Amino acid sequence: MKINFNLNGSPVSIDAPANITLLNLLREKFGLTGTKMGCEVGECGACSILIDGKVVNSCMLLAPQVNGRSITTIEGIHDPNGGPNDLQISLVENGAVQCGYCTPGMVMAGEALLSHTLSPTEDEIRNAIAGNLCRCTGYQQIVEAIEMTADLRRRKLAGQAKKLEEVQ
Amino acid sequence: MSDYQFIGKPANNVDGFAKAMGKARYVADLQVPGMLYTQVLRSPIPHGRIIHLNVKPALKIHGVLAAITCDDFVDHGNLGWPIKDSYILAYQKVRYVGDPIAAVAAETPELARAGIEAIELELEELPGVFDLTKALNEDAPLIPLHPPVGKGNLVDRLIVRNGEPDEILSKCPVILEETYFCHHQEHAYLETEGTLAIPNDDGGVTVYSNDQSPFINRNNLMMVLGLPENKVRVIQPPVGGSFGGKDDIDYQNSGQVARLALMTKRPVRLTLTREESILASYKREAMQIKIKLGAEKDGTLRAAKVNMLADSGAYPSQTPLAAWRGTMHAAGAYRYDAVHVDTDVVYTNNGYCGAFRGFGNTEATDTIEQAIDELAFHLDRDPIDLRLQNCLHPGDRAMTGNTINHEIGLTDCLKWVREQSNWNQKRSLYSQQKTSEEIRRGIGVACYFHGSSLGGEGADYATSTLKIENDYTLTLTCGLTDYGQGSRTVFTLIAAEALGINPERIQMLRPDTQTAIDSGPTVASRSTIMGGNSTRVAGQNLNVLLVLAAANYLHCDPAQVIRAGEKYIGPNEDPITFNEVVDHALQMGLTLSSYGTWNMPHIEWHFDKGTGIPYYCYVFGAVVAEVEVDQRLGKTDVLNIWMAHDGGKIIFPQGARGQMIGGIAQGLGYGVMEEMKFNQGYPQSINFDGYLIPTALDMPAVKGTFIETHFKEGPFGAKNLAEPMLIGVAPAIANAAFQATGVRNRVTPLSYEQMLLGHDLAQPAPLKRIRAVLGAHS
Amino acid sequence: MIIENLSYTCPTDLQEAIALLSDPGVCSQALAGGTDLIIELNRGSIKADRVVDINHIPELKMIRENGRITIGAAVTFTEIIESPLLQNKALLLVKACREIGSPQIRNLATMGGNVAHASISADSLPALVCLEAEVMIQSSAGIIYIPAAEIVTGAGKTKIPAGGLIQSFEINPLPAGHRVAFERIGRRKSMSIARLSMAALGSLDANGKIETIRLVPGAAFAQFQRMKVVEDMLLGQTPTERLFCTAGQCMAQLYEAASGKRWSAEWKEKAIAAITERALRQVFGDYNEN
Repeated sequence: MKINFNLNGSPVSIDAPANITLLNLLREKFGLTGTKMGCEVGECGACSILIDGKVVNSCMLLAPQVNGRSITTIEGIHDPNGGPNDLQISLVENGAVQCGYCTPGMVMAGEALLSHTLSPTEDEIRNAIAGNLCRCTGYQQIVEAIEMTADLRRRKLAGQAKKLEEVQ
Repeated sequence: MSDYQFIGKPANNVDGFAKAMGKARYVADLQVPGMLYTQVLRSPIPHGRIIHLNVKPALKIHGVLAAITCDDFVDHGNLGWPIKDSYILAYQKVRYVGDPIAAVAAETPELARAGIEAIELELEELPGVFDLTKALNEDAPLIPLHPPVGKGNLVDRLIVRNGEPDEILSKCPVILEETYFCHHQEHAYLETEGTLAIPNDDGGVTVYSNDQSPFINRNNLMMVLGLPENKVRVIQPPVGGSFGGKDDIDYQNSGQVARLALMTKRPVRLTLTREESILASYKREAMQIKIKLGAEKDGTLRAAKVNMLADSGAYPSQTPLAAWRGTMHAAGAYRYDAVHVDTDVVYTNNGYCGAFRGFGNTEATDTIEQAIDELAFHLDRDPIDLRLQNCLHPGDRAMTGNTINHEIGLTDCLKWVREQSNWNQKRSLYSQQKTSEEIRRGIGVACYFHGSSLGGEGADYATSTLKIENDYTLTLTCGLTDYGQGSRTVFTLIAAEALGINPERIQMLRPDTQTAIDSGPTVASRSTIMGGNSTRVAGQNLNVLLVLAAANYLHCDPAQVIRAGEKYIGPNEDPITFNEVVDHALQMGLTLSSYGTWNMPHIEWHFDKGTGIPYYCYVFGAVVAEVEVDQRLGKTDVLNIWMAHDGGKIIFPQGARGQMIGGIAQGLGYGVMEEMKFNQGYPQSINFDGYLIPTALDMPAVKGTFIETHFKEGPFGAKNLAEPMLIGVAPAIANAAFQATGVRNRVTPLSYEQMLLGHDLAQPAPLKRIRAVLGAHS
Repeated sequence: MIIENLSYTCPTDLQEAIALLSDPGVCSQALAGGTDLIIELNRGSIKADRVVDINHIPELKMIRENGRITIGAAVTFTEIIESPLLQNKALLLVKACREIGSPQIRNLATMGGNVAHASISADSLPALVCLEAEVMIQSSAGIIYIPAAEIVTGAGKTKIPAGGLIQSFEINPLPAGHRVAFERIGRRKSMSIARLSMAALGSLDANGKIETIRLVPGAAFAQFQRMKVVEDMLLGQTPTERLFCTAGQCMAQLYEAASGKRWSAEWKEKAIAAITERALRQVFGDYNEN
């Protein structure tokens, strides 16, 4: 059946069967392999994507469910020049990327949190990534990277607001 | 100690950005035109004889292009080391639930599934062995086709014979004698096993597999496929975690997929689902460990006798080697007058077991550290004091009788965790809690030592190569691999330091049997020492040529050339850049590539005598855990962990820190949360909804440090760290739980049931789910 | 793998959805959050030729107050947790829903799906029963209301008629002066199935004696019900530690009698006493500070 949706900022249309998950659709039909398969029962978060800005496990959605929705995958997270964005840089510089398999999911969960708040407490950060398993890092450096990014974005925003004031 | 440019300084994981952007391509991400999909038919029962197996019906399905059994391999696909008792696909018998029997290649995953369902399979179920303590009984059903050491289900026997402990024990005023049990553990890497095989026009095959050791994979493939070395190439793509778990099972997968690719002349890929992975892949061995310690009244340890019984499951895999490492560490990092260890490795039908981070020393440390703690309790001594009194110093003999001559940071580690955790205050405070309190706290300690590299396991060497390319970048190869633990970054930093150039110039090639040089397996905490040293040597060899060229350009003696950043500076003329030196070297006709080999100095362990030198060097560490136990529920909450590790010089600080915290997470899981248990051979959990690993909310607050002793044979003084930083956590937690509750459970993990009831409850296995995963033959 | 010719439809009209679900010619399943259904379809433990996506039906997505509070069956757990109305007037439900799964799961999973799936450890049911919720069900036979305490008849079994759909949950707002508690035991702190839970609600009269008490355990009994025997023993009493302890023991005895030979019974017997006491302590302890 035909599925029309917005994928990483661009409208797309594709013919796909109803019996495949969104995870499968993204990886096999769109070749977007950044979203990972980890368990297929919604327990590991490696397949996390954003649907209308909310973080969900793409293995828990059937492909047709994205009709008319807006989907963001890891391939849609980068800076304007196509390089890593501040959260991705933060993760790397903080040593939070080891095997890297959970990392795309962590980025999605992190971005979802930061779209809600730029002053998250440590508890809020841990809660935000509580649906993303990591077997390598023990989470600490990931939490710190998200915290650093929140700080960065908050200051940037404050800087922009200040500039606006000055102009006015 | 000179200040380094890159060693020990902040650095980025060389693969980091690609991974953070979702651009790193793991096996399941590799798509090739014409690719076929594999499904594997696996045993639904824990023990049986194959009465009838016919794969031809699968081929009748349109779109199923090949179907194989053990008969499609040389010598029935028999492989395995150190004991050659494994098969690419089951031969004559199935020995565990999930044992692979046949495989098909088809145009789609659905057709592949239909293919295996069409296979005719008849199994005669045999009685199984599910209790490791009964595996060696006279009447125990025999699991292997031929007993490897001629004694029923005995896989291997390992010993330590250091002095005569019996005599000493009979005179010791204080004796501690207890039995401990460690359950299995599942690796739970986020990426499951996978292999892609592409047939070559010359009748050979190229294999992309997320295994740990591409050279071992290649050698196995040569053997089972009957191909010469130049017809088999194995490449390791980025790997989503391994922790020891992606060796043997990936060699089986690779064999299956390579054979299918050669038969169909098309690329073939197999990626396991999570449930298949948990069912089919090997686990950490379960162990029953009996410890007898003898001490003086003043706490001086005199002798130890340990009996270890290791459950290897259906196949030996690496368990004999893990059991050997466990045996070498079984009495802990202490001075003794005499130690005997006797270890039996046995077959059962509880899945199968092999390598997992810690490799036998996880269980050994878990149990000896609880025993030492019990001894401290009986002696009414502080647990840290008792350890400080007895722990190893340079010049001491380890429990195996060999003298350790290098720096030992263990005392510093114990002192650091003691101070940081406010140990004295908390021990006192928590000892005053009322037993009637429902929620009680405790603080406990464990320390460890861990021999580096293969030791007595085998020849220990590594080789790296470096080459300067046309664009002034360098390519680095090493036979050792990175599956997330950061070795690629460590080697890159070492090469950069040796050459005095920025790490960004250096690109480490993916491990590829065609371009890298066999450096043995990436196991046993050997990468930094072996691969780090071989890279350092390669770097130094190349540096000699570059300095020669610089000196020639600068009209001076090589000894007069000094470096500042990437610049080469002579006494007389203006400084020159790296690029200029390279150009000049080429003009001089120098070949700008090098290789470096490093051999671990020869040491020998006499397996038959139980004496010798098991390891060339050791790392050390200490862990303090603070817990809160809910005595009404049996729930143990780990509040804080302090860890100090002596791994020599730290090369990649963020990486080291990540390894420590990651090790704490795995140790935490092992200690309280991860229950990989079998019920009559059927696993009680087969996915992450049943097998629980710690989430971000489960982690304790962590404080750690690295005590940097200097190990002169290590690259820039480094030893290793990734593997052992898990092994002290579970016993520290158990010891803390003892202070909290006053009850010794002597079982790992400390499940709620164990803590509350004093015994575990047998959860029924999800048979329906298991059958759904394994297909209609059940 | 999900069957190949699965068809998918996404009605925006409630009656159309009912018609699709009750169509005898096509075996259909309602798709709400999907966090249970997709797994079951994959495993083959639920068979369906068609899924009917009910997430776009307005009646199923609303939260509103009109005397009673109505929560649509397809409202997600995140929407429940973040609703100021529910935080204010149905705090017990919000507390229970906060513990479910993970952010990813809560963004998809719905209370309607949770109830219809009727797992013995369903997290929303103890709170719903405690709040005396009514479940509004639409089917081809019309509308029926079933009390939350009666909707689940056994593990995986409900009174929802074939081809029927939960439309909404109706809850009376908590009167002032009532305190709530939700205790839950999982094997870890996120993404863990409830091994045991207890929803509790209570109030004291002017003399400080227990005037109202409702106790509903989860993941314990075959059905989700108020434990009247324990409640009766508490009514009219002054809350004390000893009283809580006796109530806990009583709960444990009831559990022991009902649990039969379940493998986990030996642990649950003891644990249920503990969480009963703790729930009561949360509700009635420090009451005067309210």
